[in-house]
Order: sequence, then C-alpha cells, then structure tokens
Amino acid sequence: MQWNFQDIHNQAQSEAQAINGPQALEAFRLKYLGKKGIVAAVFASLGQAQPADKAAIGKGANDLRALVESLIAAKSTGINSAKSQEESMDISLPGTGEALGHTHILTQTMQEIIAVFEQMGFVTIETPEIETEFHNFTGLNIPIDHPSRDAFDTFYLDAEDPSAKGRRLLLRSHTSPGQVRIMKKHKPPMAVIVPGRVYRPDAVDASHSFMFHQVEGLLVDEKVQFSELKGLLTEFCRRFFGPKVIMRFRPHFFPFTEPSAEVDINAEILGIQRKKWLEILGCGMVNPKVFEAVGYPKGKYKGFAFGMGVERMAMLKYGINDIRLFYENDVRFLKQF
Amino acid sequence: MKLSLNWLKDYIDPKLSTDALIERLTMAGLEVEAVTVGADTVLELEITPNRPDCLSILGLAREIGAITGKVVKFPKIKNLKMDSRFRGNDKTTKFIQIENKKDCSRYIGTLIRDVQVKDAPREMKQRLASMGINAINNAVDITNFVLMETGQPLHAFDYDKLAGGKIIVRRARAGESLVTLDGVERKLDSSILVIADAQKPVAIAGIMGGRDTQITAGTKNILLESAHFDMGLIRRASRALGLRSDSSYRFERNVNFDGVLTGANRATDLLAQLTGGKLSGRGEILFKAKSAAVQIKVKIADIESLLGLKVMPGKAKAWLARLGFKVTVKAGALMVVPPGNRADIGQDVDAIEEIARMIGFDRLPSRLPVVNARNIPVDNRPRRIKEHIRRVLMAGNVDEIITHSMINSKALAKSNMADIKAARIFNPLSQDQELLRPSMLPSMLQAAVTNINRGQKDLRFFEIGKRYFVDGEKETLGILLAGRRHDDWRASKKEQVGISDLKGLCQRIFHEIGISPVYETNQFPVLDPACAASITLNGKYLGSFGRVDRKILNNWDIKNQEIYYAGLHLDEIYPLPGKVLKYRPISEFPAIVRDVSLAVKKEIPYRKIEEICLKHGGDILRSVDFIEQYLGDKIQPGCKGLVFSCLYQSNTRTLREDEVTAAHERILQALTRDLAVIRR
Repeated sequence: MQWNFQDIHNQAQSEAQAINGPQALEAFRLKYLGKKGIVAAVFASLGQAQPADKAAIGKGANDLRALVESLIAAKSTGINSAKSQEESMDISLPGTGEALGHTHILTQTMQEIIAVFEQMGFVTIETPEIETEFHNFTGLNIPIDHPSRDAFDTFYLDAEDPSAKGRRLLLRSHTSPGQVRIMKKHKPPMAVIVPGRVYRPDAVDASHSFMFHQVEGLLVDEKVQFSELKGLLTEFCRRFFGPKVIMRFRPHFFPFTEPSAEVDINAEILGIQRKKWLEILGCGMVNPKVFEAVGYPKGKYKGFAFGMGVERMAMLKYGINDIRLFYENDVRFLKQF
Repeated sequence: MKLSLNWLKDYIDPKLSTDALIERLTMAGLEVEAVTVGADTVLELEITPNRPDCLSILGLAREIGAITGKVVKFPKIKNLKMDSRFRGNDKTTKFIQIENKKDCSRYIGTLIRDVQVKDAPREMKQRLASMGINAINNAVDITNFVLMETGQPLHAFDYDKLAGGKIIVRRARAGESLVTLDGVERKLDSSILVIADAQKPVAIAGIMGGRDTQITAGTKNILLESAHFDMGLIRRASRALGLRSDSSYRFERNVNFDGVLTGANRATDLLAQLTGGKLSGRGEILFKAKSAAVQIKVKIADIESLLGLKVMPGKAKAWLARLGFKVTVKAGALMVVPPGNRADIGQDVDAIEEIARMIGFDRLPSRLPVVNARNIPVDNRPRRIKEHIRRVLMAGNVDEIITHSMINSKALAKSNMADIKAARIFNPLSQDQELLRPSMLPSMLQAAVTNINRGQKDLRFFEIGKRYFVDGEKETLGILLAGRRHDDWRASKKEQVGISDLKGLCQRIFHEIGISPVYETNQFPVLDPACAASITLNGKYLGSFGRVDRKILNNWDIKNQEIYYAGLHLDEIYPLPGKVLKYRPISEFPAIVRDVSLAVKKEIPYRKIEEICLKHGGDILRSVDFIEQYLGDKIQPGCKGLVFSCLYQSNTRTLREDEVTAAHERILQALTRDLAVIRR
C-alpha cells in the first residue's frame, strides 16, 4: 500500500476550509481520526508494509494526525457550534416559552374582594341571576310602586314566575336577593359573600352598563352592632386600598337596611384630583322587615349587609375610565392585567 | 333637590361657611352633589326616597335646624278672612267631587276672585330662578314658590273656564285626551287620575294642568287646588305618560297630609297680597282625619346594642326633639311620636337611625365583628373545578373574557341557532338585549370579530359564564382559539391553531379535575361536520369542541380565518366525582420500552388500539404512549401509520426479556386479529 501523504494533506486542508458547522466538523474528524478513519487505516497498513517503508509510513501517519488535530482545533474555535452559539447569545433578546393567559381584571378584582372577606371568615355562595319579584324586591322591603324601586330599575323576562301567578320573572337588579334566598334556607349565625352579575336597563355610556357585577355581604347573628359593620369595612378598605386609606360613613337610605350608610374613601389615595371623596359601597344594619319576610322570629336576630360594584372598584383602583372596556374584550385591554 | 342659600336664609341662618354647611348636610345623609356659586349659592342635594319631607326649602331648613341647633323662623300666614261680598255658591263644598277616596284622600279648592294677573315681584322671580324655575305670572309663580317653600304641589285654574264651576277628581275615560300646559296632547285612560270639570278633564292629577284652563293675563277668578293624591297612582301615570314635573316628583314620594292645608293657606295669603284677589270661598273634602300619630317604643338598651355605644336617655331625647319628634322617657325607653311629615319613621330602628345621624356615623365606634359562618354549608367542588380550569387555561396562554349575557336574535340566527328557544327580555332598551343567550358561542364570536376588525387575529379566549333558559341558568365554559399558535422566535415558521390544541386544553382540564371522559367524533349544528367531537362520560354529555362551521363564520364576516370552539357544560361536570389521588410507589427496577409502528385502517381510532394494548399487556404493561401519526402516501391505501411505545415495568423485580417479549407479542397478535393492523 502506497500513501501519497502530500495529496492527503492537501485534501484535508481543503476539506477543513469548507467546514461550515459542527456536523461537518464531526464528519471531518471521523473521516480522518475515527476508528475507521484514514489515520487508523494508515497505521493498519504498517503490518503489510515493506520494512523499509515502515518508518516513513509511521511518520506520515503521525504527521497526518497532528495536522488534522491542529485543523480541527483551529476550526472548532471559529465554528458556530450550539454551545458557542449559546455562549455568544445576545442576552437582551426576549426569552422563549409559552406566554401566560390573563384572568379578566373583573375576575381578579372580584377574587381580591372575596379573598379579604374569606380571610375574615365569610363563606362565598352564588345565587341565581334569574330571580323573582319576592327575592329582588318584596322580601327586601321594596314595595311595588314605591320610588325606592327607581334605584333598582329592572329587566323583566317574558316568562311567568312559577311561584307567583301573573308576575314575571326578572333579572336581578342587585345581588341583595341572595340575602333573602340564603336566609330563607338557613338559620343564623351566618356570614356570607354573594358575588355575581346584575342587570339594570341603563343606557350604555362610559359609566353605565346594563350588566355589571356586584359583591354582597351579609352577617347575621344574635348580637351584631353597627360598630362591627364599620370595623369590618374599615379593615376591608385597608386591605384593598392600602393601610393609609381614609374613610367616611355617610347616612343613606336602602329599604333593606336601617340604619343605612354609604362609604366614601379619600380620592387622594388613588391619585384622583378632581374630587375629594369617592363613594365605594353601600351598607347598613339588616332591616327587621327583611328578617320578618324570611320568617325569622321577631327580634331574635340582628345583622348587617353591604354591597359594592366590582366594575367601580376596578375602575377606581386601576384608573379605567370607560366601563365598556370590560366587556369589549380587546386583547390589548385583556393583556394589561 | 336644589337649595338656594339666599332663600334658606329667609328661615334660618346656619351661621356656617358654605363648605361647612355642605359637610354637615352630607354627613347627615343629605349628600351635596354639586354647588353653583354666584350672587346666590345653590346646592344640589341628593334626597333619598325615604325623605320627601326634605323636598322643600322649609323642610331643609328644619333639618339644618336639627343639625345645627339653630331656630327656624316659619313664614307667618295672615288670618284668612272670607270677603263678605261673596255669598252663596262660593261658600259651599259642593263644587268638589271625588270619585274614589283611595285615589285622592284630601282636596282643598280655594276660590279667589278679582285677581290682577301680572308679573310677580322681582325677589320672588329671583328665588324661583335660583331653583331653576321660569317666572310666568304672579299667580302661577306663587304656586311654584309655595311648592318649593313647603313641598306642597298646587295648581291654579282659571275658574271661569271650568265648565259648570265644577271640580271632579276621577279616572279618565277611554278616549279622553287633554292638551297639557306644555302644549302636548295626552291620550288618557282609566289608569290615569284627572281633575275634570262638568264636561272634560282639565288637569292630569298631580302631574300637570291643562292648557285651556291655565291662568292668563285675562284671568279674573282663580280656583287654587291643594290636594293629596295616591303616590302609586301618580307614579304609574307619570311613567305611562312619560311626563314628570316638580309636582309628580313630590306626589310619587308622598306629600305630607297635613301640608295640604298649610300649602293652601300660604298660597291664598300670597295671592291676596300679590294679585289683589279676594278670598271668596273654600271647599274641602277630606277622607281621613289628621295623620294618625304613631307612638314607637325605643329601648335605650336596643339603641346601645345596635350602635355599640352608651347613650344617655336625655341626650337621645334632645336629638329627636330637634327633629320635631315628641319624646317622653319612660323606664329605660323612649316613647317617640314622629312628626306628621316623617312617614319613614315606623319602627324603633328608624328612630335609632335618627339618633345615629345626630351623633354622626363617623363618631360611632368601630370594632371587628366575631364572624361566625357556621350554619352555611359550602360545596367547594364547583369552585375548585373553576380554579383548575383557570390554572390550565392561564398556563395555556388563554385570556379570560367577559361578555354580555344578552344577545340579539340576529346573533343567534347568524350562529345557526335560530331554532333554539331563548329566554326573552320583556322590556329591553335595545335589540341587543332582547334575548338571554342560550349558548356562549355568539357572544364569544362577537368578541373575536371585535378583535379581528382591529387587526388582532391571534386569539385565545375563554369565558366562564352562563347560558340561560326560562327554567334556569347553566354555568358553562367556552374556549375560542383562532390564528397562529404561540411560537418562540427561534421557530422558522408559525403554525395555525387547530383542533388538537382544543383537545389538549380539554384533556388537561379534565385531567386536573380527575375525570377521564371519552372524546369521539360527532356532529353539531355549529361545528364543521368534518372536524367536531363530543366529550362524554358514561354516556353523559359534558361538552363538544371543533372547528366552527364555515357558513357561520361567513355570517359573522370572519374571512380567511378559522375559529375553533369548545363548550363545556360545567353544571354537568360539577357533580361528577373526581379521581381520588393516591401515591403510587416509584419502581426501583428498570423499565423496558418497546416501540410499535403499525399501519391501521383510517377509521380506527387510536383509543381502540390503546384499549387492546392495556387489555392484553398483563400487569407488567405500565403505559401506552403515543408517539406520532403518519398520513402520507407511503403507506397502504386507506391506512394511516401509528407509532407508539409500550412501557413494561414491575415494582418487585427486574423483568426478564422473554416475559416482556411474550406480553408484547400477545398485544401485537390481538391488534392484528381484532383490528387487522399491519406491522411496519
């Protein structure tokens, strides 16, 4: 076997020049230095070689190995191997992997409100959106043809209430019918939160929607004081808006609570300049007429209730200026939260 | 309700800056919503529906008196004397008739003769202007002035235009109509109470007078009406007619029964002074005596336990007395009689609220309650399931949306659901609210269209909401996918989402819930028949998913883009028992994995193959794991290539090669026998 080492050297050098990637480099290495590579073949040929040629062949093989090794060493630093690509990565490029979905800001706000009350021992119950006049009005001391109904203008369904002949079913105009349902079914003590969708036939604009969300709270026991309602809601506001919130309780009127109050917080805490106070919720001591309507023994129980609009809380907290954004579901809105 | 501070000062000087007055009113429950500062500062107050007594300047003066402790000077009414020149008919009550005492429980008609109708004095006109009322003439301005001052609505008729000189309070008859002061002809019916003369209606009771009997420059004799109408009746009529006025606003909220006379007297006095008219007669019909004084017992202990602070009986009495209550202290209780204009005070808690208002809600103590929720049972499963769903979908890059529960019938028809009987809204404001949605799909397509029209085509949405039916509402999960799949920037080409993405999301959700339902090709009206599947468990339908039918997308104007939709019936899923998680020991012995590559008839689902493997693999077969599917043409016609692996392992020993081979052969033989598969 004759070896033309000069040709082999030339070929290896020109092949090395053409190497453009880690795979080609590996192939090159295998071709010359692998178990079945050229260098191995040269050494293997020593056995059959004329004794006079052995020294030259041995030297040629060693030279070839040295050459290939130096070519590989020279090439591998210049080659963009996976490892070197990673090492030379521009770390300011965005990272990869599946993005995360976003919970709707109303859900987040609702969950945040509920969590505060649950941490204080309340339990959450959902009640239906399709309601009866008894639950939505009568049981809450809101008589038919009374101006206090104006505040709870209502969508009626084209369907009769199976429990009241001649009266229509309706879409609840507030979450308070949940109070009536829960009290009709259970005896105190109780502390519940009722979240959900409510409906009022309001013309749609930046601050009105015919559908919105409320969170209702109700606590009933034998001894319950107005001061405890104040304490609970103060704690809620501190946790929801931050410890520096300033609140005021303002007398108000709701047919189903007596005394009734509205709660304002200082606008400053939310960075709002145009007003001093922002109304955030309504509350009061459960009116004895409501206990009467659900069939509780007269004078036995006391309680308090409160309700707040989730959209309003979210708009105040996150500076959202148009209620319609919540239901339009533009991805540029959804992905902000 | 507007409050002119100049006018207020005719009766009380609160000796407070405007800001301080606003603060005190607001914190007493009379929220000041706006302030107009000028020559006369005017406050805009929100008066809650329980306080009709505050719908007048004097009512507010009384309230401010109670808040500040200052004294209210009520206007003096001169002794009203009949002019002796008029005799006979003028002096009887016979010219008034009331058809139904429930509709009108009190009516005072006062006849004033020889009036001179001209402009009212400048000061009166200014007062009215501050309150947003235009001056008309002295007689009409006086009725408005007294309405604002006392809260009693009044009306002045041109007496000589009343046919037969009669006032008949009755329901309108079918076919009757009346042109009201605003010049609009109003069609009337028996639900509407009117004031009629001997022939026809001349006013809509409590709401607005008629044009033909109004006071004009030529009016000589005036009939002044002061009355008490049924609040519900006026409210319904006002709504039915779409007509509201300062009068109807007050009647709807109930006027003070005793104020009917006060208002009549005050206006009569002013008419005599400012028009030169002479009081010539008055008729009154009254169906109940003065409003019955109710006495309420308010126990001091109850005040203390409701408000959470100690209350001195003497102090409580003083606060209530300032508000016009008659109070006596008796054996640990207050015996309380509210003033006649406070119909809102009927039970002890109402009086306690008045005490709390006088103390100031902000000065009541504040402490945390003992929260005792013990009697409310809670089923946590639905909530846990929703948490699982949200977590899976968050991780799957799906954004939550919230859409309206109402849709219009067009949206339903566009979604091939026209034949579904949806619950209908009886009084929608617009067509967009006419139906409650029986499916989530139309509202979700609407959200997709909104985004696509804004150039946002890669959409991954879900909503947990309700579908509604006349007999109830059902909680539902909708998932909508469209556009490109999320890929990182290293990938060379962007792939579109497809049905396998939906299946993956559903599968992960059910895995988290611990349910293993069956997914099968199926047909649904909204989904492309070539690409739709149902999800069932033991024959119970849990939901469906697939590619939305092209015709529906065309109806929604969604072009060049596919939409994939899944709807899961959560109400069906909540009651299903989830798998109980139990730790399975991790084997210390090596696993043996055998890959299988088969040619299978296209119609045979992979599920069948998996079932046969598990059936014949014995207890050493741990799992069957899908690897890939081949649908190209390098395979027998009518077949697809399936590659999967079988994993064999034992917890107690190292498996021998021959027993794995035996098990694996059993599987392959069964597959060949039962499904005629061909090994590749």
